Amino acid sequence: MNSGDAAGSSSGGSGDAGAPRRASRKPKYSKFTQQELPACKPILTPKWVISVFLLVGVIFVPIGVASLLASNKVVEIVDRYDDACVPSNVTNKLAYIQNSTISKTCRRTLKVPKDMKQPIFVYYQLNNFYQNHRRYVKSRNDQQLRDASKANETTLCDPEKTRDGMAIVPCGLIAWSTFNDTYTFQHNTNNLSIDKTDISWKSDRDHKFGSDVFPKNFQKGPLIGGKTLNESIPLSEQEDLIVWMRTAALPTFRKLYGRIYVDLKENDTITVTLDNNYNTYSFDGKKSLVLSTSTWLGGKNDFLGLAYLTVGGLCFFLAFAFTLLYLIKPRLVAYKLSYTNRIKFHR
Amino acid sequence: PGPFRPSRRDQPDPSASERELHEGGEYRAVAVGEPSPEFAGNAVRTAKYSALTFLPRNLFEQFRRLSYVYFLAITVLNQLPQVAVFGRGASVLPLAFVLFVTAVKDAYEDIRRHRSDRRENNRLAAVLAPQTAGEYLPKKWKHIRVGDVVRVASNETLPADMVLLATSDPTGLAHVQTVNLDGETNLKTRYAKQETQLSFSHDGHVAGMLHCERPNRNIYGFQANLEIDGKRVSLGPSNIVLRGCELKNTTWAIGVVVYAGKETKVMLNNSGPPSKRSRLETQLNRETVILSIMLIGMCITASVLAGIWLLNHQRELEFTQFFREKDYTTGKNYNYYGIGMQIFVTFLMAVIVYQVIIPISLYISMELVRLGQAYFMGADNDLYDESSRSRFQCRALNINEDLGQIKYVFSDKTGTLTENKMEFMCASIHGVDYSSGKPACGSSVVVDDLLWTPKMAVRTDPQLLKLLNNDSSNEEAKLVLEFFLALAACNTIVPLVLDTRDPKQKLIDYQGESPDEQALAYAAASYGIVLVERTSGYVVIDVLGDRQRFDILGLHEFDSDRKRMSVIVGCPDKTVKLYVKGADSSMFGIINKSLELDNVRATEAHLHKYSSLGLRTLVVGMRELSQPEFEEWQLAYEKASTAVLGRGNLLRSIAANVECNIHILGASGIEDKLQDGVPEAIESLRQAGMKVWILTGDKQETAISIGYSCKLLTNDMTQIVINNNSKESCKRSLEEALARTKEHRVASSIGSPYPVLASESSGTVLALIVDGNSLVYILETELQEELFKVATECSVVLCCRVAPLQKAGIVALIKNRTDDMTLAIGDGANDVSMIQMADVGVGINGQEGGQAVMASDFSMGQFRFLVPLLLVHGHWNYQRMGYMILYNFYKNATFVLVLFWYVLYTSFTLTTAITEWSSLLYTVLYTSLPTIVVGILDKDLSKSTLLAYPKLYGSGQRNEKYNLNLFVLNMLEALWQSLVVFYIPYFAYRQSTIGMSSLGDLWALASVIVVNMQLAMDIIRWNWIIHVFVWGTIAATVICLFVIDSIWVLPGYGAIYHIMGQGLFWLLLLIIVVTAMVPHFAIKAFSEHFVPSDIQIGREIEKFEALNQVLSVDSYYQ
Repeated sequence: MNSGDAAGSSSGGSGDAGAPRRASRKPKYSKFTQQELPACKPILTPKWVISVFLLVGVIFVPIGVASLLASNKVVEIVDRYDDACVPSNVTNKLAYIQNSTISKTCRRTLKVPKDMKQPIFVYYQLNNFYQNHRRYVKSRNDQQLRDASKANETTLCDPEKTRDGMAIVPCGLIAWSTFNDTYTFQHNTNNLSIDKTDISWKSDRDHKFGSDVFPKNFQKGPLIGGKTLNESIPLSEQEDLIVWMRTAALPTFRKLYGRIYVDLKENDTITVTLDNNYNTYSFDGKKSLVLSTSTWLGGKNDFLGLAYLTVGGLCFFLAFAFTLLYLIKPRLVAYKLSYTNRIKFHR
Repeated sequence: PGPFRPSRRDQPDPSASERELHEGGEYRAVAVGEPSPEFAGNAVRTAKYSALTFLPRNLFEQFRRLSYVYFLAITVLNQLPQVAVFGRGASVLPLAFVLFVTAVKDAYEDIRRHRSDRRENNRLAAVLAPQTAGEYLPKKWKHIRVGDVVRVASNETLPADMVLLATSDPTGLAHVQTVNLDGETNLKTRYAKQETQLSFSHDGHVAGMLHCERPNRNIYGFQANLEIDGKRVSLGPSNIVLRGCELKNTTWAIGVVVYAGKETKVMLNNSGPPSKRSRLETQLNRETVILSIMLIGMCITASVLAGIWLLNHQRELEFTQFFREKDYTTGKNYNYYGIGMQIFVTFLMAVIVYQVIIPISLYISMELVRLGQAYFMGADNDLYDESSRSRFQCRALNINEDLGQIKYVFSDKTGTLTENKMEFMCASIHGVDYSSGKPACGSSVVVDDLLWTPKMAVRTDPQLLKLLNNDSSNEEAKLVLEFFLALAACNTIVPLVLDTRDPKQKLIDYQGESPDEQALAYAAASYGIVLVERTSGYVVIDVLGDRQRFDILGLHEFDSDRKRMSVIVGCPDKTVKLYVKGADSSMFGIINKSLELDNVRATEAHLHKYSSLGLRTLVVGMRELSQPEFEEWQLAYEKASTAVLGRGNLLRSIAANVECNIHILGASGIEDKLQDGVPEAIESLRQAGMKVWILTGDKQETAISIGYSCKLLTNDMTQIVINNNSKESCKRSLEEALARTKEHRVASSIGSPYPVLASESSGTVLALIVDGNSLVYILETELQEELFKVATECSVVLCCRVAPLQKAGIVALIKNRTDDMTLAIGDGANDVSMIQMADVGVGINGQEGGQAVMASDFSMGQFRFLVPLLLVHGHWNYQRMGYMILYNFYKNATFVLVLFWYVLYTSFTLTTAITEWSSLLYTVLYTSLPTIVVGILDKDLSKSTLLAYPKLYGSGQRNEKYNLNLFVLNMLEALWQSLVVFYIPYFAYRQSTIGMSSLGDLWALASVIVVNMQLAMDIIRWNWIIHVFVWGTIAATVICLFVIDSIWVLPGYGAIYHIMGQGLFWLLLLIIVVTAMVPHFAIKAFSEHFVPSDIQIGREIEKFEALNQVLSVDSYYQ
């Protein structure tokens, strides 16, 4: 910073130098001040290099295999319905979806490709929906969601802040656009009950969304963004909203809709009756319904196993390549012991 | 007064000096005893700030750094609502933190200064109360004013610059120690004028009017006159005592304050050394520019892509839920101003988000690292000099790392290579050489029944002693006596009488400013001519047991033009003699050669012999002045010495007039002993690839002989000597020299494949010896280009008889023409210009005073410390700092690139998944501490290895640890690692329920672990402190993430708990870290094994040599 100060104060006339001290001013000896603390100094000897690569390979390949096996065990049914659920005679899909007078019930039949063990997770998947859009992700107010007394706190909620001068609860674009397609399932001919409890994080229900905060002035604007909330149920129990408000990281995402606690057999058919309400037609979004089992690794995901296998394989290859190199061009460590003679000169 | 005390004629020309002062318009009139409020008071203020001004002034000072302005601009930008990326509080945090830390440090320093100011200002001094006669009352220093008469007792510090009026010594003598002023510990003598001394002893007070020059910085100059009792008395530098000095060996002294407070010479000189910037810091600017271009590139990419996205989706914006253009309460667009504006806003936001790519923390890290390095250099036992009790001192805190890149070392000779403790070795008297010295017991003098012995005895020549003691009537003996009388009288030495344990014994300590004079006075004493007492008017010399008083009628001080000094002495036998001593070149010009040619020739031969032995020579001469001659001189001398302005020139011309027709008495040879370990140190420096140049004021023969004795010159070298007196001949000899170097290069390059090392490998080496006279014609003319060419071809360069400014000129010759780093080392005032000119200036705490140290960047006690300083600390500092800068660039680039990749998946809207707090803490906390600790503590090689293989120093000279290639490599690693950190989780979590905060936490944690692992992989020595900081930082990051995700009001509440509960998270973390590190590890393994650097080989030797000592070297080379 200011080096002149140090010099100035030590040399200057501010008279703290005093009489010359006769005692030795030799700095105290310690391993620390002499920078001689005991230290370990690893060097990459061939032995080390090869062992590290081998070790990584040995660990990674089994993990890769296990991950692939786990991923293969997952049975997943994905059904994209956004196009199929619009009658083929409709040309303006946007007008169709915005017209609230038309019934948009749609029926889909799904075939179970393999046995599915309960619990079966029901997700809806949106493509091209940027829940991480800057404008969108900021448009919420967490104080209002938690605290009934802060209902009028709507900062950052633009452009969905107030309706006729009254604060909207929950305010903001995120809450406004809560997904509102609904699904009911029939297994073969029986109704298949879907459990919609505990689909959101417990921490969110307990601490983030107040049990005494009720929706107000919500979804009353000229443009309906999505789900309408029951004004008699507190926010902490509006689990669809809570799930939706955990904004997704990527533009293609799934959100948990519910769970089915029934085992499904191969070739069973499932009939889904759905209300196709949510507007993804204005921006080329896709909507899919996903039924999936789960393993210790989560859902279907081949990438992780493949990545582990690739990296493990690469390390085996490197171990091999380095072994070859060391054999072809051996250099005993410290071969330049007579350093002063053999030290190489640069330029 | 003695018979020759000049009777003061009434006012030679009363108005002359008055007029001189008026013409300059630069004088101040001080009435003695009347405090004048007109001039600055004596309160000093070294503190910069007061409580009120601290904030604005400190901020102003801090914002003088351009980088801070950049960060401020970014912070201000972030306050605009349209652009705001971070919350307001969060964005201010890093800059505020940096400013705060610096402000606290400044405030602490300033409080210390305030305290010392207060202590200083409230000290008490005895001040003459006005309108009283001789009543001294205690007064605080800050209340002392110009004109006050102050009484100071022994060992007290002087409160202001004062003209001495009277002292406890009847002759008006006072001794002061100026250690606070210039670092010199020897005592200096100051005089009160006889007139004031007398007046004081008569009346008890002094009244008069004093005219002196305006305050200035010159410690060694002062001109004034004092009107007292109608007489005008001239005052010079020997009549003033300066603030900060201590009175010694004088019971009391009384003086009138002439300069007070901030106008005192010590305060005017109170400025630090010129600020230098380190090479690395300059190079760092280039990389900063590259990074700025990268930054702008990224911002343009993001904003253009955002524009394209908007263009493609222009018609969908209203009904798209995540955009919803309109605010229905107003019916207008919300925060959307058309594509053009949107691109611009995105660009600004991108600048804010990606600004960290230019690391703000780097600057503060560098400061901290340098502080730490400076601490360790100061604490190094190997840099402590027991004899002068001086530690290594880092005076400039910003060029530590330059010590590792030095290519040229310019060294002063006297006091730097040599001890500057002179020892009288031999004398040539009247053409006879007496040089067979035998250790002698020295002679003592009996004064008042006490035995006074000189502190040091020199070796005496028995023949000479015999001559002196036995037949004093003989002509030869008379000449010898004159010779020693000249040595004893013709100097400025003050004998101090010290007590010893034996009450009957006293020691005479000769104090003086020139070590040569001290040596000569001790020599004279050993031969029985003992200087016993000196006052301003006379000296008492014990001549072979007979105490005699010699009046000093006039003294012409030494100056570097005349290169000699002389005294005019009134002898007890009523004759007036002029004694002169000086350098041979100046003396032979004024010698009356016609009289005694043989004598002169013999002396010249002896001088030649002495200087080829490496001795310093002085020629002594005398002349008896006739009465008219004396009177003429006296008139002129009186007149000149009462002049206030231009006195120096007047005195010089009078000296030149009187110093002529000198009768040569003889010459002396003084040994200038080499310091410990100088030849070895020079050898090490040369092995380390540094060129050592010696710049000395000595004559050619002495310089060459010192060159031999410190092994810079060897017998197998070819010497090229340039020693000319005209420009043409200089040109000719330079051309010849150039031709010879070419010849030499051709001859040697045949045998050697390495052209640069040709001179090393082929037996003969060139040495260039240039003389100051020739340099006059070479420096700053077109010839200096030629000199540069010749000098760089030679491996040894000696410059002799160079003036201080020429020293700087030679340094500039190299500094301006090459990129190589220069270091200048010296101990004297004549080295100051060279020390300030060189990239690195090193001062030696030596005998020649503290000016070199004051001007230097580093100071230490011995020349040989240069080796550990450069080879060990310099090497460490350079490699640590180089690595730290690169690492800081790398780690911030990695982080910024991770942020950048995410933007590609947010429709280019600069959302960051990583919370803003983590983004800000990333540079401040998550990654900064380990680099600082590693920058202070890591060492690539141990001290002993570095000292054993000086060639390892070449790593710094070749810029091996910081260059564009390494920067590019680091950036490529940052690119790879950011891709790994970003895309592995991206692919793993594609089409999943992952939330933004959870993924953000994974990215943040993975980045931190990866960059810390990179550091861990590059650390060479793991001691416990480094372990604590590296692993502790990762732990601290995890803790911070937990804390941030425990704040319910943030959207990320609970995210880290959920994601850490999944197996997938841990598997991802493992594969990210391993995949990110594989290339770095493979490159490291490959290069360390197949293209090892010198340092790598050194490390292997260090680690395995101990293990493999049993095996012979040859077995490694099958």
